[in-house]
Amino acid sequence: MRSLRILRGYLFTVLGIAIGVAGLVALGAMSERIVRFIEGGDRFVLGQISVAGRGMGMGTGFTAGGILPAATIRAISDVPGVQGVQAQIMLPLDPSTSQFMTVTQELVLGTDLSVPTPNRHYRTLPVRRGRFLQQGDRKVAVVGASFAASRGLSVGSHITLEDEDYEVVGVLDRMLTAPDRFVIVSIDDARAQWVAKDRLLRTVLASGAMALTASDLNTGAAVGWRDGYDPDSVALRIKERVPGVNVQLPSELSRLMRSSTAFFSALLVGIGALAFVIGGLSLANTMAAAVFERIRDFGVKRALGATDWQLGREVVAESLAVTMLGGLGGIALARSLGWFIDRYLAQAQQLFYFSPRLLGGAFAFSVLLGAAAAIYATTRIVSLSPAEAIRRGA
Amino acid sequence: MLRAVGLVKSYRAPAGTPIRVLAGVDLTVKGGEIAVVTGPSGSGKSTLLNVLGLLEDGDGGEVWFEDTRVSGLGRAAKSQARGRYVGFLFQSFLLLPSLTALENVLLAARYVRRPGGATRRRAIELLQEVGVGDRMDHFPPQLSGGEQQRVAFCRAVLNDPPLLLADEPTGNLDDANGAAILDALRGRARAGAAVVVVSHRPEAAVGASALYRLRGGVLESP
Repeated sequence: MRSLRILRGYLFTVLGIAIGVAGLVALGAMSERIVRFIEGGDRFVLGQISVAGRGMGMGTGFTAGGILPAATIRAISDVPGVQGVQAQIMLPLDPSTSQFMTVTQELVLGTDLSVPTPNRHYRTLPVRRGRFLQQGDRKVAVVGASFAASRGLSVGSHITLEDEDYEVVGVLDRMLTAPDRFVIVSIDDARAQWVAKDRLLRTVLASGAMALTASDLNTGAAVGWRDGYDPDSVALRIKERVPGVNVQLPSELSRLMRSSTAFFSALLVGIGALAFVIGGLSLANTMAAAVFERIRDFGVKRALGATDWQLGREVVAESLAVTMLGGLGGIALARSLGWFIDRYLAQAQQLFYFSPRLLGGAFAFSVLLGAAAAIYATTRIVSLSPAEAIRRGA
Repeated sequence: MLRAVGLVKSYRAPAGTPIRVLAGVDLTVKGGEIAVVTGPSGSGKSTLLNVLGLLEDGDGGEVWFEDTRVSGLGRAAKSQARGRYVGFLFQSFLLLPSLTALENVLLAARYVRRPGGATRRRAIELLQEVGVGDRMDHFPPQLSGGEQQRVAFCRAVLNDPPLLLADEPTGNLDDANGAAILDALRGRARAGAAVVVVSHRPEAAVGASALYRLRGGVLESP
């Protein structure tokens, strides 16, 4: 009961600390979100060799390529070191938006389910509800978590893609990377959507100028490599031996991705560092001021016989309790803020990622810094005589 | 019980010039005696009491509690000596506002490690004796000045200290409450404690064993 009363006396200190920690955690969570996005993309591109047809057609995604015919896919399969080639179609859901890869672009992904996914880091995508696609599925879709949230979709819901009705059979776990905004369908369905979206392609097909079959309509392929082979060497070999393809070396693609997001990473690191310094100074100042405010009480306690050690122990215990409360309050405040923004202002995009390392780090930081500030203030106070402490606190 | 020899204390004025407040104070107060020190404001009465009670160090001289030269002790030992030997009564009461009256009294026992149950009973007895037993769960801002000083008196005597130092204990009280506090101090002296009271009020001298006037940094008998 008495402890609660003492903490109530520190109410504004707790609030001050909570606001500082909330700022720190919220900015850190935005930084963590970007980091997770970059790491996820990096992991994806390093797990496969991405190949596209040469040119800049409707196809989008990592390679932004044109048509990759079936004969070319077979030729890639014959390159030494290659193990598994999965034809894919990646299309922008809304072709009026930029074709470049962005954090918020929604994509339709069609994959050839007769071939196991060659990506070494994503053999399967994690399904939160329902199921993933199966070979032979038509007019069904699996949707990413952000895509589902933004449209209120769940298993059994229906969506319309190019005037065709699709049933949602699965919703992916939130991955904090590109698939969160994917609509995944069978490759046959994706081909039909491509033709429907692309007037030029329809004209070419109708004219008979190119001898194309349905299996030729691919925007790219995910290529795996055999154990013991270097993926970059295999990619270079594909480039040398198979004409008419865009091949991205996994390491080069990773580097490109990182450099394209480097500005945002640097910006967030800068903001995070600033929040760290400002939040830390604010927290330390608030705690030290709270201790200095009680200078008269400490003088009285020393008059009553409290030794420096006894007084220091009391102050540290109180400051730990105060900073713990403030730290937890700040984390709760930041999480509430993040939830509110993600839910109502960010159109179901997740802008914040409150990772355990961020929360643990912020909590430990606030508690340790608060305790250090309290110890510093106490050391200053106990260096005064009890009479001086009472005089100054009067 | 209390013996002070040649106490000297100076402060520095803002301009840097030293101001000598105590210039060789000698004082002896035995158990059962009340020594009253008077003098105008700024004469150094509070400083004398602070040095006697180890609340601040003098620049020279010695303070003895019984057979121990406490002025020469280290910081921790001085704190322990304050808890063991001295009870303080201040003009502005100096109760902790976040604690109830009873908790303020019990604070005196916290740092001398007295057993909980018996001390609590004793604290309640003391509060009842001085007439604030029904206010023991109230916080200082909820008490009148007289009530606060009575609570402060209970805190000062909870550990039965052999020395009581009172700095203008009636300065913020009306006549009736002031008289009650002075009576209580006389009662502690009758019980065997050595009591030193500094005050500019003449009624404090009633019943005193010795009366001094602090003038020019030294104690004079009027």
